[in-house]
Amino acid sequence: MGKLVLYRLGFAIPQLLVVSVVVFSLTYLVPGSPAAAILGVSATPESIALVEEQLGLNRPAGERLLEWFGGLVQGDLGTAYRSGLPVTEMLAQRIPATLSMILGGMVVAIVIGVGVGVYTGTRPGTKADRLLTGGTVLGIAIPEFWLGILLTTVFAAQLGWLPIIGWVPFTVDPWGWFVGLILPSLTLGITGGAIIARQTRASMVRALAAPYTDTLTAAGVPRWKILYQYGVKNAMVPVLASIGVVFAILIGVSFVIEKVFSFPGLGSLMLTSTIGQDFPVVQGVVLFTATLVIAVNLLIDILYGLINPQARPA
Amino acid sequence: MTTSTVGPAAASAPAARQASGPAQAWRRLRHQPVTLAAVITIAIIIVIAAAAPLIAPYDAGETDFTSVLAGPSADHLLGTDDFGHDILSQLIYAARTALIVGVGSVLVAMLIGVPMGLILGYKGGWYDRLGSRVMDIADAMPGIMIGFVVIAILGRGTLILIFAIGLIFSMNFARMVRAITLTERKKLYVESAHVTGLRNRQIVFGQVLPNLVGPLAVQGAVFLGNAIKVEAALSFLGLGLPDDQPSWGGMLRTAAEHQVDHPWMALPPGIAIVITVLALNLLGDGINDALSGARTSRKQRKRALHQAPTLAEVEEAKRAVSSVVTTPVAVAPALAQALVTTDKHPDTVLAVRDIHIVADRPDGEVVPLVSSLDLTVGRGEVMGLLGESGSGKSMLAKSILGLLPAGVRVESGSVELAGEELVGRTERQWREIRGKKLGVVFQNPQANLSPVHTVGRQLIDPLRIHHGMSKAVARDQAADLLDMVGVKDAAKRLDDYPHQFSGGMAQRVAIAIALAGDPDVLILDEATSALDVTTQSQVLDLVLDLREKLGMAVINITHDLGVAAEACDRVAIMYHGQLLEVNDVFSLFDEPHHPYTKALLASHPTADHKVDRLPTIADFVTADGEWIAR
Repeated sequence: MGKLVLYRLGFAIPQLLVVSVVVFSLTYLVPGSPAAAILGVSATPESIALVEEQLGLNRPAGERLLEWFGGLVQGDLGTAYRSGLPVTEMLAQRIPATLSMILGGMVVAIVIGVGVGVYTGTRPGTKADRLLTGGTVLGIAIPEFWLGILLTTVFAAQLGWLPIIGWVPFTVDPWGWFVGLILPSLTLGITGGAIIARQTRASMVRALAAPYTDTLTAAGVPRWKILYQYGVKNAMVPVLASIGVVFAILIGVSFVIEKVFSFPGLGSLMLTSTIGQDFPVVQGVVLFTATLVIAVNLLIDILYGLINPQARPA
Repeated sequence: MTTSTVGPAAASAPAARQASGPAQAWRRLRHQPVTLAAVITIAIIIVIAAAAPLIAPYDAGETDFTSVLAGPSADHLLGTDDFGHDILSQLIYAARTALIVGVGSVLVAMLIGVPMGLILGYKGGWYDRLGSRVMDIADAMPGIMIGFVVIAILGRGTLILIFAIGLIFSMNFARMVRAITLTERKKLYVESAHVTGLRNRQIVFGQVLPNLVGPLAVQGAVFLGNAIKVEAALSFLGLGLPDDQPSWGGMLRTAAEHQVDHPWMALPPGIAIVITVLALNLLGDGINDALSGARTSRKQRKRALHQAPTLAEVEEAKRAVSSVVTTPVAVAPALAQALVTTDKHPDTVLAVRDIHIVADRPDGEVVPLVSSLDLTVGRGEVMGLLGESGSGKSMLAKSILGLLPAGVRVESGSVELAGEELVGRTERQWREIRGKKLGVVFQNPQANLSPVHTVGRQLIDPLRIHHGMSKAVARDQAADLLDMVGVKDAAKRLDDYPHQFSGGMAQRVAIAIALAGDPDVLILDEATSALDVTTQSQVLDLVLDLREKLGMAVINITHDLGVAAEACDRVAIMYHGQLLEVNDVFSLFDEPHHPYTKALLASHPTADHKVDRLPTIADFVTADGEWIAR
């Protein structure tokens, strides 16, 4: 176990380093200078030079990279161009809402995905399979933000069962937090669930077509045991990978549907910073998201090694 | 082999496959109603987008301030938005936007991804390591985030939007192209193309690219759908197209603002997106199925239901059916039956009587796989079932086990095991038989065991089921069983996984699993065929030992004359679903009766007579289904 974790960390840490260098160098891709972008049409060469001086943009790249890493180690992501607030502080305010939404979405996606996938994968070709698998095709095609608009229109605006504006911090009111998360989680979870369901169904069918199924059947092991103990564990190996993919997708989707549910998460921060070309904030959000994705994939890789003995380091 | 003979043949091979590939794919495509519907839907959307100015009742930017936020009416079929835009017209013009941005970004994605994948897959080495790192980073980034970053850096605009969305999907194309290039590069024809002196560029464009066309079409359709979704999401957030350009996402942005007072506004653009994306995804699935030929007819699927078939079974049945179909069997039974000599055994444990096994083809034709076959096996006897592939010997074994693949069934006849009828049992009734009275070992040693469960678990489960043992007792028993089949350090190895066993050892484990319920009959279905010769004899010796020790009968199915001679008491010869001859092993090898048996024995290479060419067997059945006497 310890060996497995170390082995996987050996992959994750270099990836994280490369990502942070890439994120750092984003500002160098801006045509002209970020200072010009901030000043907009009123920019003069003098004012651009002044702003560059203030923001330290005119110093050598190597020096700035070292400073960037030095800051990272201490949890300092710099200062926002527009508000002048520390980026770390701005992120910290937004992270609870985003994480809550993603957590809810992942729970819905995994429950729906694995449930539907195992159910349909064990009875391929039946009416129930065709209906549910058709549902997953639809689930993948629906734009999540539109689904969010429909759900809020029906359950919040028309029926009034759930609040339209969802976010209540857990620390303020746990029940309100939960109720507010219902619609966002469903919206997020349906697409992810459809992706996981398709993967689960396919790997379930494949697992049950493997020769060992015949070996166990012929040895007298009852079908339910083969399906739900042997089949499911074999099927979970590729399903875990799809859960990792879905996690990254869900973060992106959560950024869009925040607007539908008026959630004060990273998405709205990213949106305003993108429009305002506030690069330190954009860099902060990207770095945080990438770290989160890499961390979750690390966790999944470790789980993968636990399930699949062939993926363990020798 | 010389280069001069390999070169041209190899170069022409992919060309020939390309010629038949798309034609065949198109034939299959026509039989997929869902795909056809998707194609028609997409065609309609394209026509609407192209002819927008002719179809749309109002101009794209035309506003009607007398009618703002109005519901559907004769003037405005889908109502109007907050600026008095006609929603139907907006919807039609937005289809244009969606297609332009979607197609444009897929092209950008291909332009970046395809060359990148080709280079990584073809060059390998440092290129590949560096490129794979880049793809890893892209993996850690939600797609839409890449869109945000590109727009933050470059600003808003149609071309920037197309570039941003293209960048999101480019890594997917790169990954796919890299994987395909890697496989293609390893294939023989590219290697031989190297030998004939084709230049790298010719190899990439002539050999690798044609193989990419299919997968690129599939991915292209699917990513076009995704790109339209991303475009809608970005326009919804106000990051996409300029506000004056109609887009489905932009329309939903307005709709969301009026969701409480004018909820209907969200429906038309949303439905338009769903239909478009759905049609593109279904088209992608359809092309994929048409290229791989995976889709079965509905009727086939329905039939498959009752037996809970597995894909491998279906494939196997298809192979079996096709091999029989090439030479239809309408054999004069008299000829075959006359030569069955010693079919009686004083202490019969298994009796197959007049069994007919047939396959139902999707077109309704019933194809015989095994016809009027009789066979008895005595207690403690090793019966060899010898025949070419496609002779029906494995189907016979599967019918005895009740594991016939979907679409294959016992039409008539009976199988009696120790006085109990096996034909027509329900799944529940089979549980009394499988493991307890019948055990089986299949061909592939590694695949016979679940890769993610310990060997101990796979032994303990049947032991507990058959003997009602506690876990601890079953574990001891499992160790004893493993020890009995010759696995050293048995108790320790219970915690090992199948991949930690060699082929021969894994097959011993499979035998132990088959023996867990003390069966009366053990069936070896080509169980030693995948092993090397030394391991093969060791496993056969083990089986003979176990037969002595446990007194069970063994049915050893094989295509290998050596295996039949080495380890069988009696041998039955099968050919084209018929039993030709049964005799004790010495008589059969010394004085074969049936002409086919004679030919079969003659074709076996031995050290005694040196010949230039090995004798081959011409087909004994004519195209008309008549036996040819030789």
